Amino acid sequence: MAQPLVKKDDDFEDELEFSPFLGIEKGAVLQEARFFNDPQLDPRRCSQVITKLLYLLNQGESFTKIEATEVFFSVTKLFQSKDTGLRRMVYLIIKELSPGSDEVIIVTSSLMKDMNSKIDMYRANAIRVLCRIIDGTLLTQIERYLKQAIVDKNPVVSSAALVSGLHMLKTNPEIVKRWSNEVQEAVQSRAPLVQFHALALLHEIRQNDRLAVSKLVGTLTRGAVRSPLAQCLLIRYTSQIIRDMGNHSQSGERPFYDFLESCLRHKAEMVILEAARAITELDGVSSRELTPAITVLQLFLSSPKPVLRFAAVRTLNKVAMTHPMAVTNCNIDMESLISDQNRSIATLAITTLLKTGNESSVERLMKQITNFMSDIADEFKIVVVEAIRSLCVKFPLKYRSLMNFLSNILREEGGFEYKRAIVDSIVTIIRDIPDAKENGLLHLCEFIEDCEFTYLSTQILHFLGIEGPHTTDPSKYIRYIYNRVHLENATVRAAAVCTLAKFGFIVEALKPRITVLLKRCIYDSDDEVRDRATLFLCIFGNDGLVETDKDSREYLFGSLEAPLVNMETSLKNYEPSEVAFDVDSVPKEVKSQPLGDKKAKGKKPTGLGAPPPAPVLGFDAYERLLSSFPEFATFGKLFKSSSPVELTEAETEYSVNVVKHIFESHVVFQYNCTNTVPEQLLERVNVIVDASEAEEFSELSSKPLNSLPYDSPGQAFVAFEKPEGVPAVGKFSNTLTFIVKEVDQNTGEAEDDGVEDEYQLEDLGVVPADYMVNVGVSNFRNAWENMDPESELVDEYGLGQRESLAEAVKAVTDVLGMQSCEGTETVASNARSHTSLLSGLYIGNVKVLVKAQFGMDSEKEISMKLAVRADDQSVSEAIHAIVSCG
Amino acid sequence: MILAVLFANSVGNVLIERFNGVPAEERLTWRSFLVKLGAENLKGVKNEELLVACHKSVYIVYTMLGDVSIFLVGKDEYDELALAEAIFIITGAVKDICGKPPTERVFLDKYGRICLCLDEIVWNGLLENTDKDRIKRLIRLKPPSEF
Repeated sequence: MAQPLVKKDDDFEDELEFSPFLGIEKGAVLQEARFFNDPQLDPRRCSQVITKLLYLLNQGESFTKIEATEVFFSVTKLFQSKDTGLRRMVYLIIKELSPGSDEVIIVTSSLMKDMNSKIDMYRANAIRVLCRIIDGTLLTQIERYLKQAIVDKNPVVSSAALVSGLHMLKTNPEIVKRWSNEVQEAVQSRAPLVQFHALALLHEIRQNDRLAVSKLVGTLTRGAVRSPLAQCLLIRYTSQIIRDMGNHSQSGERPFYDFLESCLRHKAEMVILEAARAITELDGVSSRELTPAITVLQLFLSSPKPVLRFAAVRTLNKVAMTHPMAVTNCNIDMESLISDQNRSIATLAITTLLKTGNESSVERLMKQITNFMSDIADEFKIVVVEAIRSLCVKFPLKYRSLMNFLSNILREEGGFEYKRAIVDSIVTIIRDIPDAKENGLLHLCEFIEDCEFTYLSTQILHFLGIEGPHTTDPSKYIRYIYNRVHLENATVRAAAVCTLAKFGFIVEALKPRITVLLKRCIYDSDDEVRDRATLFLCIFGNDGLVETDKDSREYLFGSLEAPLVNMETSLKNYEPSEVAFDVDSVPKEVKSQPLGDKKAKGKKPTGLGAPPPAPVLGFDAYERLLSSFPEFATFGKLFKSSSPVELTEAETEYSVNVVKHIFESHVVFQYNCTNTVPEQLLERVNVIVDASEAEEFSELSSKPLNSLPYDSPGQAFVAFEKPEGVPAVGKFSNTLTFIVKEVDQNTGEAEDDGVEDEYQLEDLGVVPADYMVNVGVSNFRNAWENMDPESELVDEYGLGQRESLAEAVKAVTDVLGMQSCEGTETVASNARSHTSLLSGLYIGNVKVLVKAQFGMDSEKEISMKLAVRADDQSVSEAIHAIVSCG
Repeated sequence: MILAVLFANSVGNVLIERFNGVPAEERLTWRSFLVKLGAENLKGVKNEELLVACHKSVYIVYTMLGDVSIFLVGKDEYDELALAEAIFIITGAVKDICGKPPTERVFLDKYGRICLCLDEIVWNGLLENTDKDRIKRLIRLKPPSEF
C-alpha cells in the first residue's frame, strides 16, 4: 500500500524525509482505483487516487491493455459526482489514459452532455477531452457544437475549441477547414489569447492560399493585435508574404517593411526581437533596412535577461554569416558576452566575433577565447574550433597564432569528437596554407605521442606519410613515428610501419636508416605488423640500397585508381574461382549520386574525418586514367580537368556528364554515362560531337564504350586537336549513339539482337576559364609585389546594371576561373565598392594575379578597374581579352 | 510545438514529463540529455534564472525553482522567446500553488494541482493559457474573472 498523503502543515523535517509517493506501487494504486465504483463516492479520496495514477504515468509506468481498460471504465463512473475539483481531475486522467477507439464510446455521451452544459468550464474541458479521444466520424457529429464554441463568449471555451481545431487539422483537415468563417470571426476577438489561437488556426487552414494569407496579413497589420504572441505570429506570416512577393514593389519600397520596422518599437520584447529577426532575414536586405534591427539587437546584448541576450546574439550570429560588416558595431558588447555565465550565449558570441573580427583583432580575440575554453563543454568547443578553422583560411597570415591556439587545446583534456575537430582543423590549415605545413605536422607529431584515440593516431600517421617526406627535413618526424611502434597497440603500430616505409620510398637518403627500423618490426607480436614490415623490407631489397621499382611504389602508395565504392562492389561480386580478381576490371568511373542527393553536394570536405559526399576523381586519377589509353598517351602533361558538367536532366533514362581535360594542344572530353533502365543493356555507346561552332578544334579520335549495363557507369572519350598553347573556345553539340538490347529481368540476360538508337545531349562549351587553374597564394600582397610591374596591364570596364556588387564579383571570378584570395570573395552587404584579389595558373603554366576594383553608382551601374600581372605579358592581355568578351 | 516539458528533482529524478510529437524511442535520450544539461549548468543558479541552449533547430529553456528543475524543449514557433514565456507562466503557477519556490516534498504534495496547471498551460504541445490568475481559477473549474 502506498504511503498516505501527508497533511500540508507537516513540519520541515518531515518535508525532508518523506515523499507522499514513497513506496508507491502500481498494483496497489490500481486496487485503490476500484473505489471509483463505490456508490458513495468520496471526491477527496478519488482525487488522491487519480493523482497517484498521474504520478505513475509521469514516472514512465505503463498499464497493460486490461489494466488501462479497467481504470478507464472505473474513471467514467466519476461523472456521477458533481464535485468540480474531481471532475477537473477526471478530464485530465481520461486524456492521460488515452482510451482505445473501442472504449471511447462509453464516455462520449457524458462528455457530449458536458459539452452542452450551462457551466462554461465543463464545456471547455469536454471539448478538449473529446478532441483528444475521438475519430473523424464522431467529429462530424459534434462539429456543430465546436463551431459554436469557437465563437463562444467565454474566451476559455473559444480557445479550447480553437486549439482543438489546431490539433485536429492534422488528422481531419477537411472537417476543420469548414470552420474558417467562425475562426475568421474569432480573429477579431477582444480576448488576446483567442485572437492568438484563432490567427494560428486560420493561417494553418489557409496557408496554401497565398492571396488569402496576404489579405489576412494586410488586414491585421493595419488593425490592433492584442496579444504579443499573436503579434509574433503576424510578423512571421508577414515575412513569408514578403518572401513570396519577391523583392520590391514597383515603387522600390519593400512591402510591409514599415510594419516590421514599427514592431521594433513594440512594448513587448518578444515582438521586438521577432521583428528584428524578420528584418535581418529579408532577402537582399539593405543596410538602411538592417540598421534599426541591428541597433535593437545590440541593446538586447546587454539585457539582464539571458533569453533576450541569447536571442539577440543568435540572430546577430546569423547576420554575421551574410553581412559581417553590419555586425561589427556590436563587437564590443559581444566581447563582454564571452564571459557570460550561460555558455550557449558565450559560444555564440565567440563564433560571431570570429566571423566579424578583422585581421588585427585576431590575437586579442584568441587571448580571450583561451580563458573561455577551459570551462565549456566539448560540444561548444567544437563549434569554436570550426570557427577558428574558417578564420584561419580567411586570414592566412594569422596562421601562427591560430595554429598555436589549436595545438594548445589539443594538449588539453577532451573527448574524441573534440580532438577530431582540432586535428581536422590543423590538417585543413596545413593543406590550405603551405607555410603552416611544417609547424602543423610537428604539432600533430607531438599529439600522437600522447593520443588515446587509435583512429586519430592512424589517421595522423597516414597524413604524415603523405606530407612529411616532402618537407625540408623529413628525418625529424621519424622519431615520433618510430615511437609508435614501441608504445602503441597493433593497429597504430601497423600504421606506423606503413608511414615509415613511405618515408623510405620517397626520401632515398633515409632508406637505409628506415630499413634498420623496419627490421626491428619483423619480430612484432602482431601478424599484421610483421607482415607489413616484411613486405616493405622485401621491396626495399633488405639492405635498403636497391632502388625501389616504380610499379611497387605505385602499387603500395599510389592512390586507388578506381573509387573505393566501385572496388567494394566489384570485390563483393567476385566469386572465388581459379581466375584471380583483376584490379583493372574495376570500373574507374564515379557512380552517379542518387538523384535525391544531387542537391546536397558541394560542401567542401574538411580534414581527415570528413570524406567527400561523393567520390569524384582527382586530378592525379584523371591523369593516370588518360595516360593508360594509348590514344591519349602522347598528348603530354594534362593541364587541367574541369569538374563534371551535366549534359542530361535529372531522372532521364541515361545520365551523362562530361569532364573537359585540357592539354597543351589537345582537349579530351570524357563522357561519364550511366544507364538507369534496368530492362536495357546498351552496347557500342559513343558520343557524336558536332564541332561546327568550334572552328579551331578538329576531331582526332574517339573511344566508344563497349557495354553499358544498368547502373554500372562507364566512359566514352572524344579527343580534339587545337593550336598549341592557344586558349581556343567553342561550342560542341553532342549526341549519344548506342545499340539497345532488352534484358530479361528473371535471368538477367540480354537478347542477342539490339536496336540502334540515339539520344540528344545538351551542348557543351569550351570557355576561357577552362584554360585557367584556380591556384591560390597565401600572401597576395607579397606575390603581387614580387611580380614584374612591367607586366601589369590596367583597363576599365563597365559591367552594366546588376542587382548587387557581389553578383558582379562572382560573375568576373567565374568568367576568369580564378581563385579568390584572402577572403575577398565575400562582399560586404550593400557595399558600394569592393576589391577582389584573384590568382591562377594560365595554360603554359603562367602565373597570373588580378586585382579587380569594383564600384557601383546609385543606378546600380557597375564599373570595374582590372589590373593584371603575369609572368608573361601576353597572358595579361589575354585576361583582358576574356573580360572584354565575357 | 513544445516538444517536452520536464520537471526533475535536485538529483535528476524525473517528477513530471510530458512529450508531444517525440517518438517513444527518443524520449529516453531526451530525458537523459536534459537531466545532464541541468546537472552541468544549474548548480548555483538563482531561482527562476533562465538558461538557454539550442541544438540545430530545437531550443531548450530551463531553470531552477526551489529544489525542482524545469525544462522546456521547443521547435519552430516555440523558439527561446516563446519557451521563456511558457516557462515564466509555469514557474508562476507552481509558485502560486506551493506558496513559495518548492522543496521536492512540497512539490509532490501539490502534485495533482501542478499537473492540472500544466494541463491548462500547455496542451498537446501548444501554449493554451498564459494568465496566472485565470489558470488558478480554471483548475477549480471556475470561469475567468474578467468574463
